[in-house]
Amino acid sequence: MPLLFTGFNAFGQHECVSGDVDCAAGFSEINAPVSTQNQCTISIGWRYAALALGRKLCLRGLLDDGPNECVTLEATGDIKALSAGDSHCLVLLHSGQLYRVQPKLQAELLVVRLEAPPQTNQGTKRSIFGVPKAPQSPIIEHIACGSHINVAISSENSVYSIPSCLHQFSERQFRVKQLQCGHEHAVLLNVNGDVFTWGNGLRGQLGQAVLKVEETPELLEALAGIKITQIAAGGWHSAAISAFGDLYTWGLNCSGQLGMRVMKPGGFLKEPTVYPLPQLQDLPECGCSQGAESSDDCAPLRVFAGSRHTLLIRRCGRPWASGWCKHGQLGKQLHNLSYVDAFQSLDGIIMNTSSDDVFCGPWSTLLYLKG
Amino acid sequence: MDSTFLELTKLLPRWVDIENVIQGEVEARYILKRATGYIENFQSRGDSGEEETRYLICALVDRNWERIHTGHFSRVPLNTRKIYAIGCYFKICFLLLESSSPAQKELCSGILDEAQLLGCMEDWSELKVALMDYLDKGRSEDSGNLPILESLKRISCTCDIPQLEAPSLQEFQTKCFQAGQPTLLLNTIQHWPALHKWLDLNYLLQVAGNRTVPIEIGSNYASDEWSQQLVRIRDFLRRQFGGDRSKSPQDIEYLAQHELFSQIPALKGDISIPDYCSISKEDPPGAVDIKAWLGPAGTISPMHYDPKHNLLCQVFGSKRIILAAPEDTENLYPHESEFLANTSQIDVSQLDLETYPLVEKVKFYHLLLQPGDCLYMPPKWWHYVRSEAPSFSVSFWWE
Repeated sequence: MPLLFTGFNAFGQHECVSGDVDCAAGFSEINAPVSTQNQCTISIGWRYAALALGRKLCLRGLLDDGPNECVTLEATGDIKALSAGDSHCLVLLHSGQLYRVQPKLQAELLVVRLEAPPQTNQGTKRSIFGVPKAPQSPIIEHIACGSHINVAISSENSVYSIPSCLHQFSERQFRVKQLQCGHEHAVLLNVNGDVFTWGNGLRGQLGQAVLKVEETPELLEALAGIKITQIAAGGWHSAAISAFGDLYTWGLNCSGQLGMRVMKPGGFLKEPTVYPLPQLQDLPECGCSQGAESSDDCAPLRVFAGSRHTLLIRRCGRPWASGWCKHGQLGKQLHNLSYVDAFQSLDGIIMNTSSDDVFCGPWSTLLYLKG
Repeated sequence: MDSTFLELTKLLPRWVDIENVIQGEVEARYILKRATGYIENFQSRGDSGEEETRYLICALVDRNWERIHTGHFSRVPLNTRKIYAIGCYFKICFLLLESSSPAQKELCSGILDEAQLLGCMEDWSELKVALMDYLDKGRSEDSGNLPILESLKRISCTCDIPQLEAPSLQEFQTKCFQAGQPTLLLNTIQHWPALHKWLDLNYLLQVAGNRTVPIEIGSNYASDEWSQQLVRIRDFLRRQFGGDRSKSPQDIEYLAQHELFSQIPALKGDISIPDYCSISKEDPPGAVDIKAWLGPAGTISPMHYDPKHNLLCQVFGSKRIILAAPEDTENLYPHESEFLANTSQIDVSQLDLETYPLVEKVKFYHLLLQPGDCLYMPPKWWHYVRSEAPSFSVSFWWE
């Protein structure tokens, strides 16, 4: 069950197996006690990485004074999700309780108290003795954070800008499928295939024609009517894949993270760097053996994003990527380039599209091959 | 290792100087501790850890570039911009340790300019000046390649606003400033050396060629095709004014709204702040923002307004200008977006009354700004500006 890593690791956020053995596509295998027995989840911050196994949480990297610092904590229950931000890491338990922990050697898990959503007209609940019941803390199901944004969503579809409730999705059928945050924006996908965005959209990251700050979730009109199955939020960009196997990207393209050309022909002047509306990306022929039979076999299936790079997995299992690669975030093979501005394949890796996972750090990519 | 460079390393921030800047900044503390330690001791020991420290410094610069580009620039903590500038100084130093080839020096002077544009360098201005001297030294621009522009013959044409011949301060105060009256001021900057010196573009190349500046690409900033980037003045001048420009049509690049004169003090000596800018409701008068506007024929600033008093002085070339009063704001259809709220959606050079019927009510004022002229615009007056020839203007904004 290898974990294959590439990218920024100057603080020993990830412990490489036996020196620096490079695997396919310029990734290195890292040491982590993962197994099929316990559920493992990972989130990568800029100066530390957080890894959870069961109820155990481990933070590694630059925590206080130097590289390779490590601290291990134990939560009160099994950990479901992590989101590693700059000043804290959000920790969500399967029970729906939310904690945060600061990335330092004296780390401790602190309960995150969320403000109650505005009461509906049910009135104050009372116990059988007539004492007002303390409002139950919400059961959180999804978390995500960036340097300027922290989001949690409850089982009742209350959206929190931690700690306050900023929106309530009231449709009965509404179910959140995916929540992702960039540095300062959030992207939400529901099971119906609708995309909602909010936060700072001044670099086009919200997919709305007008560049502005949006306080509450807004339906992404440009994709309305298209069933979206996967989303990703990068630093200042976003991506979505439709049920038809189309890839859309929007937001900032300063390093080719949208898969679009950065410089005009001639190489002196830049193309526009902000694309406020979703751009349909025409991917190159995959060129793998499966694609020879039908191009549908190589349609993009899943998408992930770091601060300035985007990684997608095509149906055939081949990972493709575009964007900033100066710190090796797209594999060390490209280390003499600073960016790639068209999607290209990371040769030598085939992923199992149903079981394998990808975790993008701001400047790194981690493949979790379970198969 | 040349001795000038060794002197430069002595000007680099020391650990004690920056400790307070990086309080609570875990990564900056670790990386800058290593970098300052390395520089303070590097003559007494080998190059152990040089490559790793250089990489960490580059990562710190990239990291703080990202932080500076997150959220509104105005709300970025000053310390983040200070750390970025300090990081850039060390990055330059480590790059020069690696090599001092002309190409490396050119790379370094680009980093220094970027540090000035994004970072906060005020605590280390001595180092900035010394580094800039060191990096520019020994460079010589191939001159003679750029044209010497001919001074334009003055055209007499209608002007829809009052014109005053070198008004006194008193006259300016009552007739323009207090009256809120846009006015064309004639013969007020005749003494500027810039008026004849800058016509020789090779002079600008010599003085400023190696500096990196932000330019706008595309004819106007409100269009979708517009973008902005950092380029060297040398390359910008060659592309936009070089001899073969007429042969191949290309993108219009505009050095617009840039504080060029704080970046290149030598050019500031060629102009002077008009006395009119000292007239202010504030006491004492606030600072004057001086901005440069340099581009070929055909640059367009779409109809927009600025919040301050504005004196637009024409050094060479001419500009077609259309004004409208603040009272007409609602008839000018400002953009909805936060970025462009001070910009009109209409193209005043081609009015579209069907889409924007209210425009018919607007009273427009037309004029031609010629070399040596100054246009005074009160705050919030709408203006559209198009260059008719290669043009250099200097604007002064004050409260």
